[in-house]
Amino acid sequence: MPEWQRSTLELIVEELQRPIRIDESFDRRVMVHVRRTYARRRRRGVAGLMASASRITHHPVWAAAVAAGIVAVATLGIVRGRQHAPVAEVGHEPVQFVLVAPTAKSVAVVGDFNDWGLNDSALVATNHEGVWSVTAPVPTGVHRYAYVVNGKDWVADPSAPRSAADDFGMPSSVLVVEGSTK
Amino acid sequence: MRIRPLRGLVALVMGCTAIASASAQDPRIPTRLDAPTQAAIFAILDSALAQGIPAEPLKEKVYEGIARGADGPRIVAAVRSLALEMSTAHKALGTVASADEIKAAASAMHAGVPAVELGKLKREGGLRRSLTLPFTVLTDIVSRGVPVQAAANAIRSLVGSGARDADINTFQRNVKVDIEQGASPAAAAETRAKGAAKPESSKPDTE
Repeated sequence: MPEWQRSTLELIVEELQRPIRIDESFDRRVMVHVRRTYARRRRRGVAGLMASASRITHHPVWAAAVAAGIVAVATLGIVRGRQHAPVAEVGHEPVQFVLVAPTAKSVAVVGDFNDWGLNDSALVATNHEGVWSVTAPVPTGVHRYAYVVNGKDWVADPSAPRSAADDFGMPSSVLVVEGSTK
Repeated sequence: MRIRPLRGLVALVMGCTAIASASAQDPRIPTRLDAPTQAAIFAILDSALAQGIPAEPLKEKVYEGIARGADGPRIVAAVRSLALEMSTAHKALGTVASADEIKAAASAMHAGVPAVELGKLKREGGLRRSLTLPFTVLTDIVSRGVPVQAAANAIRSLVGSGARDADINTFQRNVKVDIEQGASPAAAAETRAKGAAKPESSKPDTE
């Protein structure tokens, strides 16, 4: 090693070995800083602690992509929910009621699933050349029902099992609705 | 603090009774019923709840009576009759029976099927097999003129052979058509049951 290099190195070592003088107020200032930081975190609560403990930075493009994904999933969920809502709710299955009554003026369906038509809850069927039909979500389980023709004549469904319990002198039928997940 | 078990038990029982009573006082029971009819119906509902019988079919019977223009005494009689049939069905089927099975069994009893036959069917079907539809079809074919014993035997052979609800539905439709075409109801049920019953080899493992 040349002489000039050796002398330079000795100067550097000498500088590094020189004792560092710390200001007497240093400890006090550090402690003040620590106390302030702790107090601030306590004020922020859990959210503050979480935020300061895990500060993650994202590239704007990735953040935009994630946001778009969340919006897409949420939108699809809403659309799907809207598509299913009129057809079947949870614990309900869509049931088509059909009655052939070519001379009828109106046909409605009443049963224990709509309180037998009380409070205008009867299901109104639509006419297609004498074939009256209506589709509605019905709760899973066993039900009794009947058709009301022309607003006054109660008739049983000729294509369904009969009900024995005609306590009020009018016929009714039985419907067993099974869950689709069974 | 010292806990007194007897007082705790009394309080629990009173609380449960209050809850049961409150749930029987369904606000959906229309106020168009006169006071004596309402009182009689609420008493039947309370009694049913105390026995562990589902109250909803009884309430549905009330709505049905009102919708069909029946008077108070007739509605009370119908609800009382249904409560009795459901209570008997509940005892015959055991605690494993679902509310729907009890409701369907009560309807079968109304058609004239003895509770003991329903109990036999439930035991034959096993714990996991719902007998709601078999009871419904049993009620239907009895109401079409099939003698009770022949109808019960037919349904028992179907359930015992592992027939599914779809098979039993087909059986009901076939018996109905046969009877409408002039067949003897008993002969139709027996013959169609033989055809619909699954052979032993195709029985599903339900237990």
